[in-house]
Amino acid sequence: MEVNKNNEKIENNEVEITTNVIQKPFMTRKRKKLIHDIIIHMVLILFGTMFIFPFLWMLTTALKTNSELLQGTDVLFPAVPQWENFRLAIKAVPFFLYIKNSFILVFFAVAGTLFSSTLTAYAFAKLEWPGRDALFVVMLATMMIPMQVLLIPTYIMYAKIGWLGTRLPLIVPFFLGGGSAFYIFLLRQFFKGIPKDLTESAIVDGASHFKIFIKIMLPLTKPALITVTLFTFMFVWNDYFGPLIYLSDPDHLTIALGLRAFQSQYSGRYNLMMAASILTMLPTLLIFFFAQKSFIEGITFSGIKG
Amino acid sequence: MKKLLLVMLLMVGVFALSACGDEEVDGKIEVTFWHLSPVGDESYSQVKKIVRDFNNSQDVYYVNEYGFSFWDYWDKLNIAVASNTAPDVGFSTIDDNVHRAQRNVLFNISDFIAADVAAGIETVNTNSFYSNQLGFLTYEDDLYGLPFTATTRMLFYNLDHFAEVGLTADDVPTTWSELQVVAKQLDIVDGNKIERIGFDPTFGQGTYMGYLWQSGLDYFDDELQVTLNTQGHYDVLDWMVTFNNEYSRSQLNSFGEANTILGIDPFAAGRVSMVVGTDGLYQTLLDYDSTMNYAVAPIPVPDEDGVRVNWGSGFSLELYKNGRELDEKAQGAWEFSKYLMSVSIQVEYADAVGWIMGNTEAMDIVAEGNPIITALVEECAYAVDKLFVPYAPAWHAGDWFQYYDQLKAGDATVEDTLKDAIDWYNEKQTNYNATQ
Amino acid sequence: MATQKNKALGKLRSEERVLGYIFASPWLIGLIILGVFPIALSFYLSFTNYDMLGAPGFIWFTNYRILLSNDSLFYTALFNTLYHVAISVPLGLLVGIILALLLNSKIKGMGIYRTIYYLPNVVSVVAMSLLWLWLFQPSFGLVNNLLSPIYNFFKMEPLLWYQSSDMSKITLILMGLWTAGGSMIIYLAQMQDIPSELYEAADIDGANGLQKIFKITIPLMTPSIVFNFIRGLIGGFQDLTVSYIMTKGGPGHSTYYYSYYLFDKMMSDNAMGMASAMAWILLVITLVITMGALSLNKYVFYLGDQS
Repeated sequence: MEVNKNNEKIENNEVEITTNVIQKPFMTRKRKKLIHDIIIHMVLILFGTMFIFPFLWMLTTALKTNSELLQGTDVLFPAVPQWENFRLAIKAVPFFLYIKNSFILVFFAVAGTLFSSTLTAYAFAKLEWPGRDALFVVMLATMMIPMQVLLIPTYIMYAKIGWLGTRLPLIVPFFLGGGSAFYIFLLRQFFKGIPKDLTESAIVDGASHFKIFIKIMLPLTKPALITVTLFTFMFVWNDYFGPLIYLSDPDHLTIALGLRAFQSQYSGRYNLMMAASILTMLPTLLIFFFAQKSFIEGITFSGIKG
Repeated sequence: MKKLLLVMLLMVGVFALSACGDEEVDGKIEVTFWHLSPVGDESYSQVKKIVRDFNNSQDVYYVNEYGFSFWDYWDKLNIAVASNTAPDVGFSTIDDNVHRAQRNVLFNISDFIAADVAAGIETVNTNSFYSNQLGFLTYEDDLYGLPFTATTRMLFYNLDHFAEVGLTADDVPTTWSELQVVAKQLDIVDGNKIERIGFDPTFGQGTYMGYLWQSGLDYFDDELQVTLNTQGHYDVLDWMVTFNNEYSRSQLNSFGEANTILGIDPFAAGRVSMVVGTDGLYQTLLDYDSTMNYAVAPIPVPDEDGVRVNWGSGFSLELYKNGRELDEKAQGAWEFSKYLMSVSIQVEYADAVGWIMGNTEAMDIVAEGNPIITALVEECAYAVDKLFVPYAPAWHAGDWFQYYDQLKAGDATVEDTLKDAIDWYNEKQTNYNATQ
Repeated sequence: MATQKNKALGKLRSEERVLGYIFASPWLIGLIILGVFPIALSFYLSFTNYDMLGAPGFIWFTNYRILLSNDSLFYTALFNTLYHVAISVPLGLLVGIILALLLNSKIKGMGIYRTIYYLPNVVSVVAMSLLWLWLFQPSFGLVNNLLSPIYNFFKMEPLLWYQSSDMSKITLILMGLWTAGGSMIIYLAQMQDIPSELYEAADIDGANGLQKIFKITIPLMTPSIVFNFIRGLIGGFQDLTVSYIMTKGGPGHSTYYYSYYLFDKMMSDNAMGMASAMAWILLVITLVITMGALSLNKYVFYLGDQS
């Protein structure tokens, strides 16, 4: 029943697509389903402990005192959890300013990536134009040059056009497909998966490619767009190196870069560092949690003849 | 959609504009200074105050300061130097200063000093710096950097552990044979597992080159050819890995890893009774609120003929040319450098960051009443820096560690380690020369 | 009807020759104004002795000659990387697909499970590497403690994991699987595009769960599988973080990867020219392998190509 409810919700969003398929709930043997679910739960919990382990370790480290840090693996759990560390971590740096700065970069990066990668991916997936396949290989090839050797040339270029110390090197490239070759490739794969019948019938109705792109492609590949958004968000949110080399003004610093102040030359304040890392992970986790909610199986374009 | 894009582009433009605004320097000549105390570091507010005091003290120059974490600073600086966008004045490392001087990216400090002397202005007093550091900052008889800080290595020993076995500070070893005797008394072994170790030459900041120097040997000859092929070189390395021969390499390794895996210091954790450490270890103990009783002593020497010497480096203060000739900004950077090197500011800086400063007069004031700092400062006079070797700038680190780590793991003999290392350095030299 | 359709399609086909460039223009313009200069400069630098301080001196093919004929670490590093990619990429695909299939079930709390399995992609690599070292430490690590009954049963020596040059690469590859949640999310996204009619039709034909997975889900996931395969290839050739933090390339160079060597050339030796040459050699190698992988495209099932 739950499945059906979700179906309706999603279908309401897909305005363009007519749905007249009768959903047949598949619930023949309740007991079989129950056993099946229990097994899946058990498997997921068993392996899940492995995957949650790093996070738990971060948490216990964040709650230790300085002297407990010294004991290393001898002390796994702090005697008295130092929740205070979270407050100290926020107080030690202009935490909310950094968060705001990170959000500014993330906002433009996501907008830019979605803009440039969807359009380009459409060209590679659905249009026939001379040089397309060669350029597709060029695009992949740009990802094969290790970033390190492009670093100084790129930096010199931004220095020459006077963008150092501004946010522009961290924003503009996203609008021009910079660093998003993988997303273009990903979206191309998804666009190619949109059935021909849909686009061709729209063409017969006189729709332009731009209209097909906006009205059919984008709504139908929402899970992929959400994935691209999530990945871009995570990349920009966690990137400290770009902000490090291009920004100088303390008022522009991002959270990933700002947190590095907790590691001094001789001693890391690991407890504060972990506390702050956990706090900065939260937005990513929240976004992931809501993003994955829209991933419900096999319903996006019901109504299409197979 | 189009409107949305337009709005976004507009906002990008606004950001671009807002990046160059808010200046409160009213006509002063602006100078950029990069340092190692980022916002959020405990030392930041004091460093900021030092810069603000300079700005308030005179009306020609205005210094903009930017702090970066030690772990990020070098990437930021190297990229900036490569593209002529380095700060007017900033920190760098003393040992490879000569490389930058050769490549003409630094202003000549001796010229500034000579100009000050000619004009009868007060200038930096090079007599209050360690002569060994000045030597490393000299290229073709001219200074290309100022020794902002110094570092040194000493033997840190745990007096609580000493007391447990009936030893006192008077029993601190001075030679390798004494070291062996004392160390063995401090070991604690539970069955197969090492609980505590008295000393191990490969732990902490003990280095092969340091022990070589103490034995009157060196790594390279005057032509920068590697010289690891004598019996003496063999003996020192052999001593390092056989010091705790009664334990297997895997026992020692798992003991060592238990310390390092989680980034804790074995001495601070009380798992090693004596260790070679830098002055940074003193800071670490302070930072972790350690209540341990400990003291420091010169690193024991091989025998009565041993040399009292240790590896010490430091940060230099350098003035970057960025492809320019001498101008007002450079003059401002020089004024600010003189201020930073002065006794009172060096004292303030030491208080902020806990470093040993390059100005010995300042350190006499800082060390007063603190026996550990006093000893560390005294030992700085015996510190020697490592050579800059153009064909293998990381000769003491990655190039050496790849063989040294195998030796420590028990996967290679001392003989093979030295032979492989020599071959590797020679190959690097041949290949480097081919590109010059 | 058919003629009307063909006419409309024909008109659009001729427009596409121009439209293609217009749609691709954000990326194309970016490539021309932001991409060409750094790429060309790094290609030029690969023929110089640039040390990031002085002016680059042109030395023709010297860097390439040294790397290919007189560098005892070059082929070691290349071999390590090929080994790493050859094992980690297929294994990563497999784990990602299995995770995605498991996490696509409709059971309670799926959001929480998915988040947990995604967690390692979010926590800091440094924290994770240190934890991994601790877990796999041969004498006191948790993994060997758990395995000790097996060791005793077979009367074998405990595995040395990252400490032995035979096992170190595998240990790092296993650690890489921890972040399989990244590719999982792409598979999940693709699974949403599989029309439910296909499953319903299979139900009517009496197919069981496994049959549905192999006959419907996996074939329709091939576009993402190819994507993750190529992403894994390209990423795998450039991967160095884990080795850098955990093993420093050791023991005995067994985890010294190509990109690690490139990084050292640049950061430790200031040999930017040499590092650039390494990058261009890597590009050629990756490109050849990727082109081979792209030929797999003929086995990919794009719904859009069907009618």
